[in-house]
This record gives sequence, C-alpha cells and structure tokens, in this order.
Amino acid sequence: MKRITLILIALALVLTIVITGCKKEEEIAKGPIVLAQGKPEIDEQLKAYAAQWSEATGIEVTIKSCGGGSCDLGQMLKADYAAGEMPDIFAINGPQDFLEWQSIVLDVSGEPWVKDTSVAFTYEGKTYGFPVAVEGWGMAYNADVLAEADVDPKSLVNLAGYRDAFAKIDAMKADLGLDSVVSMAAGPEMGWVTAHHNFNSLLSNGLDYGDTSAADNLLAGKVDAKRLAEYADWVELLFQYADKAVLTTGNYDAQVGAFATGKAAFLHQGNWVDGNLAGAGANFDVAFAPHGSMEAATEGIFVSAPSFYVVNSESKNTDAALQFLTDLAGTEAGANYMVNEAGMIPAFSNINLNPSGKLSKSVQEWAAMGKVYSWNQYLFSGEFRDQTLAPIYNQFANGAISKARFVDLMTEAFKSL
Amino acid sequence: MTERKRESLALEILSSLLFVIFLLPFGIVIINSAKDAFSVTQYPMKLPEDWTQLFRNIANIWTSPNVQYQSSFLSSVIITVVSLLTITFFSSQAAWVLVRTKTRASQLLFLMFVAAIVIPFQIVMFPLLSWFRIVYQATGVKLLRTYGGMVISYLGFGMSLSIFMYHGFIKSIPYELEEAANIDGCSRIKTFYSIIYPILKPIHATVLVLNGIWIWNDYLLPLLILGKGNRVMTIPLAVSNFAGAYVKQWDLILTSILMAMVPVIVFFLFAQKSIIKGMVQGSIK
Amino acid sequence: MEKTRENRIVFWLFLAPVLFAFLMVVVVPFFMGIFYSFTSWSSSARVGGGLSFIGLTNFTESLTDPSFLYSFILTFIYTAINVLAINIVSFALALLVTSAIKGRNIYRVGFFLPNLIGGLILGYVWQFIFNNAIPGLGKAWAFLAPLANPDYLILADRNASVLALVLVGTWQYAGYIMMIYVAALESVPVELHEAARIDGAGGWLRLKNITIPMVAQAFTITMFLTLVNSFKQFDVNVSLTAGGPSTMFLGKPIFGTELLALDIYNTAFLANNLAQGQARAFIFFIVLVVISIVQVRTSKKREVEL
Repeated sequence: MKRITLILIALALVLTIVITGCKKEEEIAKGPIVLAQGKPEIDEQLKAYAAQWSEATGIEVTIKSCGGGSCDLGQMLKADYAAGEMPDIFAINGPQDFLEWQSIVLDVSGEPWVKDTSVAFTYEGKTYGFPVAVEGWGMAYNADVLAEADVDPKSLVNLAGYRDAFAKIDAMKADLGLDSVVSMAAGPEMGWVTAHHNFNSLLSNGLDYGDTSAADNLLAGKVDAKRLAEYADWVELLFQYADKAVLTTGNYDAQVGAFATGKAAFLHQGNWVDGNLAGAGANFDVAFAPHGSMEAATEGIFVSAPSFYVVNSESKNTDAALQFLTDLAGTEAGANYMVNEAGMIPAFSNINLNPSGKLSKSVQEWAAMGKVYSWNQYLFSGEFRDQTLAPIYNQFANGAISKARFVDLMTEAFKSL
Repeated sequence: MTERKRESLALEILSSLLFVIFLLPFGIVIINSAKDAFSVTQYPMKLPEDWTQLFRNIANIWTSPNVQYQSSFLSSVIITVVSLLTITFFSSQAAWVLVRTKTRASQLLFLMFVAAIVIPFQIVMFPLLSWFRIVYQATGVKLLRTYGGMVISYLGFGMSLSIFMYHGFIKSIPYELEEAANIDGCSRIKTFYSIIYPILKPIHATVLVLNGIWIWNDYLLPLLILGKGNRVMTIPLAVSNFAGAYVKQWDLILTSILMAMVPVIVFFLFAQKSIIKGMVQGSIK
Repeated sequence: MEKTRENRIVFWLFLAPVLFAFLMVVVVPFFMGIFYSFTSWSSSARVGGGLSFIGLTNFTESLTDPSFLYSFILTFIYTAINVLAINIVSFALALLVTSAIKGRNIYRVGFFLPNLIGGLILGYVWQFIFNNAIPGLGKAWAFLAPLANPDYLILADRNASVLALVLVGTWQYAGYIMMIYVAALESVPVELHEAARIDGAGGWLRLKNITIPMVAQAFTITMFLTLVNSFKQFDVNVSLTAGGPSTMFLGKPIFGTELLALDIYNTAFLANNLAQGQARAFIFFIVLVVISIVQVRTSKKREVEL
C-alpha cells in the first residue's frame, strides 16, 4: 500500500514536469511559419490569403497583426525577441528599424522577386526587405463637398490656400452638413498620425524625392526656424478646424468615420483608408491634395513603399518564409490578394492589376505625374517620435500649450538629438 | 419607531440608487453590444432598436479570427483549472510538512515563501522571459507560448499566499488526529491524503477563489508568457488583441467584452456564497 | 529511526513541486534581474549590441529621467487618493448592507460584481463610457449639453484622467473591500449597540466609539490590500488611458497618466531598454517593500492603541 502511494506520487511529480513541456513539436519538412505585420486594416485579407497558401503548400502560416493604435509592432517584436519567439517574417519600417534587427535579417538579394521591384529595402548594396505596398497620403478631401463649397482643390498647395478654403468651408458647415472641416487625430493612441505622418511635412514637403537634407539637419540638431514656424502654422490650422473630440480622444475609427460619413471635408490619412471608406458605404468622390505646410506652394503628396517584410535569419523555416514571399509577388493568387483583396498598390512591375480604391488611384495619379515627396520620418527612431514628439503634439492639440511653446519644445527636442 | 422607519426607507433608496450606479456600466455594455458600428458611436445611451443585432454581433465575435473566442475560452479554462489544481494540491501538502516538521530547514523555507508574497511580478517578469528561453535552449522544454509555462508560473507566484493560508489552518488541527492514524499503521503520505486533506476543505475553497479570480483575469503574465496573437491566448489577451490591434469597432469590442464577462458572472451567481466567503476568509487570514 | 527517515523523505517529496516552481519562476529570475539591472541588456538585434556591464548607469539614468520621476510621484498621488476613495466608499457600502434594509444580499452581490472582471476589460468599458457614452448623454438632452462639449472630455485632461483611474479602481475594488468590512461589522455584538442606544448614544457616536474600534483589525487588512494593489496598478492604466494625455514635467513632454508599472513596461519594450526597465522594477520593488512594512507596523500599533 505504502509503495503504491509512493509510486503514485512519483508519477504525479513526473507528470508535472511532463506537462510543463514535453509537447515537442513534430518536425515537418517545412514550416510552420509566423508572419508579424503592422497593418491591422489588411489583417483579415492577409489571413485569408495565408490560409489559401497553406492549403496549396501544406505549410502552416500564422499571421500576427499589431499596429494602428494601442498595439505597437516594435514593442511586440521586442517582447517576442526577448522570449526567443521571433516571427519568421516580420515587418520593418525604414532604416532605423532595420538597424534594430540587423543581425537577424536575412540577405534576400538572390530572390526571384528582386528584379521586379525598384523599391525593395537595400542596405550597403544588398537587398533585405520585401516591399509590402506603395502607399501615400496627403490631405484626403471630399470632392463633392469642395465642389458644393466652391473650393478648387488646385488652390490647396500652400498655407494661404488652405487658410482660405478652411475658413470658407467652416462658415458653410451647417449648409454642408459638416461637424468640422478636418478630421484629424492627436490623442494618446494616435501619435502615428501626428508624430509620424504629419511630422513628415516638416521633413520632406517641397523637397526633391529622396532629398533628406531637412531631416539630416534636424538630426544634427540644426533647426530651420522659418520652416518650423510655417510648419507650426500648418499644425495649428489643422487642429483649429478639427472636431475637438476626435482630435483629443478619437481613435482611428472615429477619425476615419467622421470623414466617411460626410461629417468632415478633409481627412489626414493615407490611401489605406480606402477599405474603411468602402466599408462605411461612402459614395462621394475623394482624392488627395498636397499638404500646405509652407507658404511656398508645394505640389505633391507623400508617396513611398515604407514597410518591408524581412526574413528572420535565425528561423528554422527560412525556406518556407522565402517561398511565402516569392509566391506573394510571383503568383496570381498573391497579386489578387495584394491588389483586389487588400486594395494595396503593388510595388512589383510584374503585377498589372490596379486597386479600385479612389484614394489609391489618386496616389497612382500623383505618382504618374512625378509629383511626389519622400517619407523621411523613419530616419528618426520610433522612440523619439513616440515618446518625445507625440506628447508635444498631444499637448498642442489639447490646448495645453501655445504655438510658440510648441515651436520651442520641437526645437529643444531636435537639439537634444 | 417612525423615525427609525423613515431612516431605513432613506437607506433603502440610497442603496438601490447606488446599486443602479454600480451596475450601470454593465448595462451600457449590454445595450451597446446590440447595436451596429454606426449607432454605437452616434447614440451610445439609447436602447437598441433591434435586439437581434446582439446575436449577429455575438456570432461575429464567436467566429472572428482575431478574437478566437472559442479557443481562447478553452485556453483560459485549461490554464485556470490546471493551475488551481496544482496550487491547491502542492501548496497544501507543502504547508502540511512545513507545519509538522520542526527543523531549521522547515522554518527557513516557510519564511522564504512568506517573504516572497511581497515580491511584485514586475521585478521578475523580464528575466523570466530570458530564463525560460535559456531553459528551452538547454533542455528543449518549451515554457514560453505553452500551457506548461503558464501553469508553472501560476504555481510559483500563487503558492506563497496559498501555503501561508494552509499553514495557518493546519496549525490549528490537533496533532492527535494524525497520531491516531499513525498508530493504526498509516503511512505519513496516506495520513495526509486520507485525514488532513479532507479537513482542509474550507481553505481549499478560499485558495481556489482567490487564485481563480486572479488567474482568470490576469493580463500581464499571459501577455509576456503567451504573447498577443499566438496560438494560445487567454480571454483578456484576446479582448485586448482585438480592442488594441484592430481599428476600434466599439460595437464588436463591447460584444467581446460582454462575452468575456458573462461566463464569470454566471459562475459567480451559482457559487456566490462560497466565493464571497472564500475571498473574505482569504483576506482575514 | 525508521520513522524519521520516512519523515525526511516525505518532507522533501512534498515540498519538491513547490520548491521547483519557486526556483523556476521566482528565485532564479529575481537574481538574474538584479544582475541584468547593472548591464546593457536589451531586446534588439543590433549589430554589436552584446551584454556589457555598465555599473549603476541604469539607476542614475532612471532617477534623473523626468518621466520616471513623474510616474513615481503620480503613483504616490494616485495611490493616496485611491486608498482613501476605496476605503471610504467600501466602508459606507458595508454600513449600508449591514443595516436593517431589505434585499441586503442582492446589494452585496451587486456591489461585488465589478470585482469579478479583470481591470483590463473594465478599462475598455470605461474608456467607452468616458469617450462615447457621457458625451452621448450631452448630445441627447439639451440640459446636459456641457457633457458633449469636447472641452470637457474627461480623458483629454490630465487631472481628470487620473481621477478617472481612481473612479474605475474604486468601482472595481470597493465591493471586495466592502465584504471584508461586512465580515468585521457582523462580528460586532449587537448587544453593544443596543446598550449604547439605551444609554442615548446617537448613530455617529456609536459609529465612532463602537463600530470603528471593533473593526480596527479589518482596517489593517484593507489598507494593506488597497495600498499594494493601487501601487501596482497596471491593467486599468493600459486599457483606460494608455498613459495619455501628455503633460510637461521638468521641461520635458511626457505621458501624463503613466503609473510606475506601465512606465516599467514601456521603458523595457517601447523604449527598448530592458535593463533600465529592470532597474526601475528593482526600485519599484524596494519602495513597495518599505511601504508594506511601514503600513503593517503603524497599523499594528494603532490597533493596539484603539
């Protein structure tokens, strides 16, 4: 009896050790792979495509989406990395992100899709990143409302143009059925709209594509006071004509929703909102106008292929990961997902499909005319933008600080770099 | 007497008023779970026009690949139940030998366990990740992203308070009870399981309730051990994954919240008396 | 002899599982953490970003970082208000539900209910209430119009947001603390009250001279529980305010409602500085230990005096 109890207890002990982990994953030839990406708006479509691809190849794919608000992809990746659970494919934005992960990013220069794109992420002559899509933003406008208010979108190229247009539309708000002129967000979760996207006006508006001089100067602590002052006027203008509730506490949904339901004439977002607009049943005409962050006219919008899928070189499944990317760019199903399902502008010349979203079309039109400015915000670290700049915008939006103080704080922030 | 009556009427009105205020947030969740995305933001305080929307929303969350409600619910149940079993089982037997063994080692161990009650999770959470990673690399035993890692973590963090409570109770059990069994030829182990373990019932209830509520609702530990969006998610992780990572669709977020709350509340209403008693006992000990 | 050997085996056998878990998740990480807090430990994969000793740098940098100091002060303020609010509300509730009213049990259950739900989920619920439901009231009824005024949005104002955190914390926790008070109040002999009543002591006098001294032990417990829990607040902070809105501190723009636990987490993963997050966690731990000891000591002393 005694012995039996002892054996039972010993068994229980062994069992505890067993349940703590002996479920080792069976070794399959390839996969499963995990892809972590930062665009929640395409999460559903990507998961559907991944499921379809899994069925075709027998390789299991898990998609993890994190971004757009209170979920920070960089933060999630750092936690995953600390846990030794780095995804096999993950998204990076620009050079700062790349440096963060440089030692585990696989060189993909030899992949078949490299020859079909001109915007892959390269570093010191080697290709590392698969461009997810071409994206762009400017000031999205409701063309129907502008026509009704008799505002010519062509006049929207500088501060003066916007001042007049905003004042005019503001005075007609009741007639036009608007709550506010601009749908802008600067709340705690929306730092990416202010400190990433809007911030880029300061860095690249009016400069040649690829010209990083303004950003380089700021990184070196040299502040162009005139450029910054005009930019501050622009930020003030946007905040002044925004719906204050959306501005201070609204989230992505509230911001895009106000525009989609015709309650705002302008929206400070990019072509990724096409899906949201369609989802909300918006049937008015939309297009992008340039930002008016300067007194001088700047005719162009911000276009780039900003995010890239990179392959984790420490992954055991690099072959499967590489195959996933190759198929994404090289198969009909992949192209169909990117363009028709996710509504993205493909970054590959071998794909001849065009997205049906109106804002995506607008981006393509601006790009075709060559009237584009770069995305330079990624030259600054995520920490600087999120922890230092975002709180400054947030306070300006809340009315806690004046424009002069905003300029001072921005100047100090750059000097501290 | 009339003054006393008037007084108690006033108290009753006050209580029912407070009662309504306390439960109002739940009401807001329920009415807004039965609206579509548009009316939830436009008319958040109106009663829904069409209650069938509630079922459409529930069906939506039930099948949503982002919430993974079914598997998250199952994971939460597995993690909670297995952790509770290991905690009650192992803590009670540990507390018993600590009480009944009067050696230096025994006293020292007890002191160490009790001291650990004040250790906040924050101080061990980052190294825990890298330690589990080292364990995996060295032995192949995977603790991150697995049930096993969760269970062992909850045992480790939950045992201190549990042992403390069992310890206090076992001390009050007269030793003669065990001696009698010993004379009857029972082994020590059998003595514990046939005599002591059943006597511990009231403390088992307390330990189960206190740890149960904590484990079921815990966010930080699963966030680190399981991570968001992986194969194993608990209910709080799933809700935050849905609410945070996705654009904010309040109609569906509130529905997912409703679906996270209902099972707990139903369970509570069934076992209300013992749960409240358990929690109070636990705090007073 | 046989007996003691058996005892020894059983002793270690019975302790083995908890000792194993304790070593795995508490002891080893605890000491690893102390080690890491003196290094440049990080979670990125930069080229040339190995682990090196940097002495006390993490601690000195933390203690001179405005956002950490701010979180520290804020956590103390939040804890003080929260402890007060929870204890006052729950004591009042306890008096209510132990008085001779009908349906006491239903009230108890109702007040207790929020405690069953995790802080994370409750935070989302209240974010919706503050950002949508309350302005919605203002839109629906003209006489409540100020509620819809965006200038008065609760979560857009730093001070109001801190109070919002207190409100949610109190709402969540008061029911539990109430139950502890209820247990203590019910142990006060009814005869004492009756005797005092006959002697002509009014309600307030009886409360002050009978009830409060009799439940002094409960105060020790509730103070301890609310203090420690408020100090460690994380879940509600994440989901309700996410640290916002911003404010200025020592000339630096920072997150205005970031409590310590959230600051530690963000330092580690947002600012990508695991080692400094660890150092901050260590400071957090020391403060928590000191608070716990001081609180228990003074309460015990007060108990004796009463």
